[in-house]
Formats: sequence, C-alpha cells, structure tokens
Amino acid sequence: MPSFFNTWLPYIYLYGVGGIFFLMGMVIIRKSGAINMKKKTHRYWNKVLIFGFFYFVALHAFFTIAALYW
Amino acid sequence: METHSKGFETFHNIGSSTDWIVMVVYFAVIMLFGSYFGRYNRNTKDFFFGGRRFAWWLIAFSIVATGVGSHSFVKYAAKGFEHGFSSTMTYINDWFFVPFFLFGWLPIIVYTKIRSIPEYFEKRFSPSARFLATILLLFYMIGYIGIGFLTLGKAVLPLLPESFDMLGMNFQITLMGAVIVIAVITGIYITFGGQTAVIFTDLLQGFILLFAGMLLFFLGISYVGGFDTFWNILPTEWKLPLAHFNDPSSFNFVGIFWQDGVAGSIGFLFMNMGLIMRFMATKSVNEGRKAATFNILFMLPISAIVVGNAGWIGKALSLQSPDLVAPNTSPDQIFVVVANIVSTPGVFGFIMAALTAALMSTVDTLINATAAIYINDVYRPAKKWLKSKIKSEKETDKDELAAARYSSVAITVLGVLSVLAFKSFPTVYEAHGFFHSTLTPPLVVAIFLGIFWRKFTAAAVIATFVGGVALMILGASYPGLLIAPFDHGIAMDSAHPYSYIRALYNLFVCIGVGIIVTILSPSLINLSKKFKDSQSGNNLMIAFIVASVIIFFMMIFSKVILGTEPSTAIVLFFLFLALLMSYLVALTTTYFVEYDSDDNIDGLTVWSIDKAKELFKGSKVNDDEGEMILVNWEISDHEDDFVRFSKSDMDKMAAKVGDLVYLCDKRKYLGGLKSIHSTLGEPHDKDGIVQINLDQKESGQFVENRILTAEKEM
Repeated sequence: MPSFFNTWLPYIYLYGVGGIFFLMGMVIIRKSGAINMKKKTHRYWNKVLIFGFFYFVALHAFFTIAALYW
Repeated sequence: METHSKGFETFHNIGSSTDWIVMVVYFAVIMLFGSYFGRYNRNTKDFFFGGRRFAWWLIAFSIVATGVGSHSFVKYAAKGFEHGFSSTMTYINDWFFVPFFLFGWLPIIVYTKIRSIPEYFEKRFSPSARFLATILLLFYMIGYIGIGFLTLGKAVLPLLPESFDMLGMNFQITLMGAVIVIAVITGIYITFGGQTAVIFTDLLQGFILLFAGMLLFFLGISYVGGFDTFWNILPTEWKLPLAHFNDPSSFNFVGIFWQDGVAGSIGFLFMNMGLIMRFMATKSVNEGRKAATFNILFMLPISAIVVGNAGWIGKALSLQSPDLVAPNTSPDQIFVVVANIVSTPGVFGFIMAALTAALMSTVDTLINATAAIYINDVYRPAKKWLKSKIKSEKETDKDELAAARYSSVAITVLGVLSVLAFKSFPTVYEAHGFFHSTLTPPLVVAIFLGIFWRKFTAAAVIATFVGGVALMILGASYPGLLIAPFDHGIAMDSAHPYSYIRALYNLFVCIGVGIIVTILSPSLINLSKKFKDSQSGNNLMIAFIVASVIIFFMMIFSKVILGTEPSTAIVLFFLFLALLMSYLVALTTTYFVEYDSDDNIDGLTVWSIDKAKELFKGSKVNDDEGEMILVNWEISDHEDDFVRFSKSDMDKMAAKVGDLVYLCDKRKYLGGLKSIHSTLGEPHDKDGIVQINLDQKESGQFVENRILTAEKEM
C-alpha cells in the first residue's frame, strides 16, 4: 500500500492551499462587485464556479479511491 | 535503435512509407484549410484577434489544439511512462484561479480594448512599466516557442534515419537540424495565415487530436488484452492521480503544484497571449467565460487522457513484454514507440501527423501572439517616438501587416535559438517546468496584484520586476541556501536544482517586494517630494539609478564574484543589496514617474469593472435584459458606423439609441464568422429589417437573403 505521502497528503495540500486561493478569488470578485448577485447571469456563474471546485475535488477523490481499492 | 549516454534506448526510422504519405497529405490538407480562412483577415485587428466575433464553442474547441499541443503528447506520455496517471495532474489543477480570470482579467482585457499585456501595464501604471513588461513577456513567449520546437524535434526525430547521403556526402540528422526544418515550415504557414486561419485550423485539429489520442488509447488497451488486464498489470502507485508529495526531485506533487498549479495556471490564464487572444476573439465577455469554463471543466480532463495514455500503455507493455518495450526506453520517445507498436501502417502516420500538426498549431499561435506584442509594444511606440510621417489608416495598416509578417519570421528564428537553452534537460517536461518556474513569477505577480489590489503602485510594479528578478537570479545562483527553505523536503538535484519548487521561492520574493514597496508608498512619496525640493535631487536620483544598475549586474555575475560556495553571511549580504536596490528602484520610480492612484486604476482593476464597461461603450451602460431577434438586412446609404432597427425590434432587444449591438449570420455552425459589432442608430419603421451600410455588409461578409440574428450587447 502506498504511503500517506503518496495518496492523501497531495490531495489535502492541493485542495487546502488551492482552496485558499479559490476562496480568495470568490471573496474578491464578490466584494469588488465584479460578480453582481442581483444579475441572473451572474448568479448562474457563481453556481458554476462553486460547482467547478467541488467537481475537481470529487474527481481526484474518485481516482485516488479507485487506485487504492479497485 | 541505440543506447543513449543517459542509459535510455533511443530509436530511428520508425514508421513506413505509407505513414509518410499520410503525414504529407494531412499537412497539405491542414495548410489549405488554414489559407482558405486566411482570406477573412482584413486588417491587423483581424490578423491578430480574429475581429471579436466568434461563438464560445468554436473558441473552446480551437483552444484544445493549443492546450494539447503546448502541453504535448511527448512530455506527458514521458511522465505517464515514468510515473503513471499522475501525469494528468497538471491538466486538472487550473480551477483555483478561474474566478479571478472570469470576473477579473477577462472583462478588463476586453473592455479596456488593450491589444497586449504590456499595454495594460502602461494604462495601469506607466510607460516604463510597459517597457519592462514587454521585455519579460517577449522572453516568456520566445522561450515558450523554443519549448514547442524542442518538443516537435523530439517527436519527429524517431521517425527519421540517423543520417542520409546527398551529393556524395553523408549528413547526420540532429535534433537541432530537425528543429530548423520544422521552424521553416511553421514560419511559412503562420506568415500567410493569421489569427482567423489559426482559429479554424485549430478547430479542425482539436477534433482530430481528441480522436487520434482516444484511438491510440483504445488500440493500446486492446493490444494489452483489455481494460482489466491493463488496470491490474499496473502497480498501485502508477494508478494514483497525484504524484508522491516530495519525491523524486524530477517529478513530485508539491513542486509541480507551485510551478504548474499556481505559477503555470496564472501564467496560462493571465499571461499566455496566444490563449488570451482566443478569448478576445469571442463575440462577448460572456462567450469568453463559457469558452474558458467548458475548456477547463471538460476538455482539459479529456486532454489529460489523450496526451498521457501512450505512456501508461507503454508502462503496461514494458511490464508485460519487456522485449517489446524496454523499461529503459527514452521517455521522450515513448509516445512514438507505443503508437508504432499498437497501430498499423497508415494509422501510425495519421496519429503522428495529428500530433505534429497540433504542436505546430501551438507554436503558430505563440508566434502570432508574439508578433502582436512586437507590433503593439515595440513597432508602434518606436514609430511614434521616431515621429514617422503620418500616413492614412489604410497605409498604416498595410505597413503593420507587413511588419507583423516579417516579425513572425524573426520570432521563429529566435524561438529556434532558444531551444539551445532547454535541450540539456533530461525530458521536455523538466525543461518546461524549469522554464515556467523561472520566467512566469515576476509578470504573474505584477499582473495579479495590478488587477486585484488598488493600492499597488507604479513604483511597486517596477520594483517587483527589477528587484524580484535580481532576487530570483540570486536564488538560482545559490539554491541550496535561498530556495532550500521552501523545498518541502524535496532533495536538491545538483544538475538541475529545484526545477519546480523554485517557483514558490520566485513567487515569494516577487510578492514580497511588491507588497513591501506598496506599503512603503506614502513614505516614498514624502521622500521624493523632499528630493524634488532640494537642489541636488536630480543628481542624487541619477546616482541611485547607477547604484541600482551596478547592484543588478552584481546579482547577474554573483557566481563569478562570490564563487560557487561562498559563506552564508556573504550571500545574505547580497540578499540585503538586492533589497536595497529594490528600494532605490522604487524611490527613483516615485521621483520620476507621474502616477495618480485614482486615475490610473479607473476601469483597470477588478474594483471598477462597471467603469471599464462604460468606457468601452462610451456612454452609460444599458444592462436591461432583452431577447435575441431574427432580421433580414438591407443596404442603406448612411456612412457612419451604426445600424438601424424598427422601434418595436429595439424594444424586443431592450435596446436604446447608442447601445452596442451584435449582428450575426443565423447559421449557428458558422460560429460567428460572418458577423459585425455596431451601434444602434435612430429607429426606422420597417419591422424585421436591419439597415446596414456597404462597409458593414462587406465586413460581416453577409450573404444575400440570409437571415441575421441581432442582440444588444450593452
């Protein structure tokens, strides 16, 4: 079985540190008014951005689990 | 087959004459296809930007060939062969910076109508910031072209014989020789094509590439004995999607995260002029967002499989039959070796043609983008500075188009020369990693802070460029001392120290300089005022500039001055000198450069996107949501650039006189090729009719009796 350094540590680091960057981006575009939640299209884009983050979180988790247990 | 000095087996003469015929036919068809669309270039705006008219799906698919080509079958197959599925990780780590791009950089570049990244630096900061950004960006782009040529050379070399006889003499075929021939072919194509040709050629190639890559995957799986055999034969480590955290130094997760996931992702989205020009070719900001999102969410994960699978198949084959694929096969040749084994003659030629043509697309795009930077940031300012005689718009455009074509040739030559800097790396992947870690941080930090931090000043950006680069050079000279604290436990390879994790050190020093100078801005302004009031102010500033130049050169030649193993104290003293130089640069910039912290950020940061929209339109923005309508067109004899609709059609679009409107041929499959942007004029009384003038008809290439769609932009 591969070590933690090979399996979940990179995953945690990727979405931990990467997640901080992503969160900073979301906060800045909201606070600056670049994404305006009063507009229908912008509300749609807000959902797409959040979906995209969790889509990749799930994708990497799936492939890690598949490699380890399938 | 021969054994390389590094212990790898390398190959020559792979493929048959059928494969060569298929490759030649493929290239001829692609070039004819591209030159057909080259006729849609009407001026330099079209040559470089394609005229801001295309639908998102067309751009999304045309980006595939650029993304796949630039990241290349060769280098990902190599890492797939050496390390398995973790070769995909660089394709699936771009999302963190997407919010910044979609709602920060993309609207800014479109609404401010900038034609190149350096132009943004002039508007946001000062002409001197533009000058430094141009130098750094040209280095970056030409280096990128060099990586493209190196990859192409490595892809083609296994197909060629070791030598050939001509006129009674024997000629060895070398990597550089192959690169030069490829560069000539690439240069010819781009010189006569332009951006519209590149977009359409890439669109076709995007589909072909995905097909060829997937075809190779299925052929390979079938050759190995089915998916279960393939899956079970691979060790668990090979199946993990992320590499080991910090080992080995040539391929580890944390180094690649900072090099590719952070510096590379920002570089790819914010600095890659080739890609940015594609997004600028979309008809609107929203279409650009759709193209980018679709590309990152769906096309990049598929592309990761397409480019890496030959390496995975190669690994499975090397475990199954080591006689067929030797475990020590040169990683950079594994793609060609596997493609040759699992496919039949002709099919192999098709796969190779798709690969090399895609790589050429990438290089084409980059050459086109670099020529755009040359015209916009070197040629035009130089003409203005030399006060050349004023010519008509048509004459100027003709001159610029010719200059763009000549510069494309010169850039191609420089790209070939830059291959020399990268060919010593064991694989293309490491060369590309080193290149990204080294060249992207100063620009990435400057663009990023410029867009998202209102307080970031002209003095801070110039100090980031000069001081950041000086500190990076010092780090590169003494990595064991300066980069080691950032290494996360990665061992230092003395031949190529910290190829990836150096990105973290480089980002840190550039951000550090930028933030410190910005914080010190009020005191710098006060100090420069005092110097302005004193009589010796100018002389002192000139002395500071001279001192800064001397210190900068001391950094460049630090290894010569200090030797390879100086004491820590001496290196720390040099570090102090670099910081002192950054301060002096900031002070002299504050003294000489006029920077208004209110005017210089209007419409140029994420905090004033609405203002940028207003400046783009030239009047108050109309954000009312209307519908898209279908209209017939008729010619009117007005000369101004406006179009006229009936009052009722304008109401349907929720549009008013002076609003911006987009007219497009109704046929969706054209993807906006036949379209124009214009302004709404006073209404007429014929419902379902749009009145346009002859210039607009020609510009949009509208066809008689073809219905148009019309929608209000803003």
